Amino acid sequence: MTQQEFKPEKSEQPASPVENKEKKPAEGLARDLEENYRKLEKTRSVLHTAGKVEVGQTPHEILAETRAYRLLHYQPLAGKTARTPILTVYALINKSYVLDLQPDKSWIRSLLQQGFDVYLIDWKDPTSVDKYVSFDDYVNSYIDDCVDMVLKKNKVDKLTLHGYCMGASMSIMYTALHQEKVRNLAVIAPVIDTERDSTVIGNMAKNMDVMKMRDTVGNLPPEQLYACYSALKPFKQGVAKYFNLVQNIDNESFVGNFLRIEKWLYDTPQIAGETFRQWIADIYQKNLLAKNEFMLGDLVVDLSKITVPLLNLVADEDHLVSPDCSTPLNDMVSSQDKRLMRFHTGHVGLIASSYSQNNVLPKVGQWLKARSD
Amino acid sequence: MQDNNDNPPAGVTPEQATKMLDAWTEVLKLPTIGPMYAFSKDFASYADEFARLGKIMAEMKGHLDVYWGLVSTAYAKAAKDTAEKSPKQFATKEDFDGYRKAIIESFEDAFTGLFASAEFSSVYGKVFSSQMDMSKAMQTITEKNFKALNLPTRSEVDEILKDMHELKRAVRDLKKGMEALMDDAARV
Repeated sequence: MTQQEFKPEKSEQPASPVENKEKKPAEGLARDLEENYRKLEKTRSVLHTAGKVEVGQTPHEILAETRAYRLLHYQPLAGKTARTPILTVYALINKSYVLDLQPDKSWIRSLLQQGFDVYLIDWKDPTSVDKYVSFDDYVNSYIDDCVDMVLKKNKVDKLTLHGYCMGASMSIMYTALHQEKVRNLAVIAPVIDTERDSTVIGNMAKNMDVMKMRDTVGNLPPEQLYACYSALKPFKQGVAKYFNLVQNIDNESFVGNFLRIEKWLYDTPQIAGETFRQWIADIYQKNLLAKNEFMLGDLVVDLSKITVPLLNLVADEDHLVSPDCSTPLNDMVSSQDKRLMRFHTGHVGLIASSYSQNNVLPKVGQWLKARSD
Repeated sequence: MQDNNDNPPAGVTPEQATKMLDAWTEVLKLPTIGPMYAFSKDFASYADEFARLGKIMAEMKGHLDVYWGLVSTAYAKAAKDTAEKSPKQFATKEDFDGYRKAIIESFEDAFTGLFASAEFSSVYGKVFSSQMDMSKAMQTITEKNFKALNLPTRSEVDEILKDMHELKRAVRDLKKGMEALMDDAARV
């Protein structure tokens, strides 16, 4: 070994002040790279445990269970509950636990804390034998059965029907046909006037031959829904959110929220073939619901027949259901007591966020309380 | 060493091929029973179905070419915009963050613009329809095999499902009608 071999390399020698100045950004970048690598590794291990995240934790009993649904009854969280119970109708897209995602962002829990008696229809996954299940079955059988069970259990004649997204549209259909059992109708982001819808989903729905789909593959496969979701905000949400996750991987609360939403986003069941055909062909392509020409079996759904108090909640940033698609409902019904509330948030932010807990739910509770005794 | 002329000719002569095809034609014409009868009866329609499948696949390829053409155009636009919005040097963390933001914004704008366009909606509908046509054609061929083997086909199961749903609805309506009558009777 020569002396030359012991000589420290140039980069290890103390640098002159001028050299130091030039090296700082590079050293900073190297440190950032190392830190990002650590965060990436942690993200990878966290994502491996994503399936174990807990959702829907608010205590409840299963009041009834069929092949199509489970009717959940939540334990009261307030001393005295309002006389009129609330039956929440969830959509057929993804799972109902988004309404009870985590204790501090739970729509259901907030209603319970505000003194309401809350029920929820938790739709079960359709299978290939449910190909011909239609909105007629959902509205006139399943929802109607649940309404009867809730009325019987609470010994009342009427309840508040409360729907979200597609569940809101179904609640509206139900109220138009069975108003005698509904005291209030409170809907969140309902799909009504699809001619005014400007979302990517509405655009993709315009030319889909859903009759062919029903007859060929039967139910709508989840993969088709993923394709639609990925076209919504493909980079701002589809890509940027993972950057945010890596950056915030040491923030336990952020990671918990992220994983719960992520679990919900990809917990997508099939949609019964005939129901999906009606949803796209009759509601999106022909706009029959807004034209009062939508048929449930032999019955026409005429929105002008609705006279019960109406609360319509709309999100200005909704990229799944355009606000302009939801707001016309208030002009279509004949109710004297009707209210439209608009919030500066998105479709999911409206129901499962801190914003919703602080800004939306107190107002909803207030409106309902005034009409629930 | 043998004479080449003594060896049998390589391959099949036209005469042999004609003889073989004639023999098969005779077999197909035989009054067979069971699966062979069904296969021979449906031979021509099988050929039609495969030809139809080929036509659908050719149409689908045409639609997919348009689809990927639109995607490529959006990608090129996004790449161009990214280059314009990107920082000119990459020396600090902020430069890299700026680059990331430029990529996300440019791609988001280009692709949401594409997905919201009438052109995309139209071609998406065509690709979707072709996929369904292809599944349908393959199902038709499969169903022929099932029929030949005397097994229930998807279409027959669908008919049963349809009947079951109509029956369920009829039972539901009867049940509700009966409940209403009983309520009326109780009031009287």
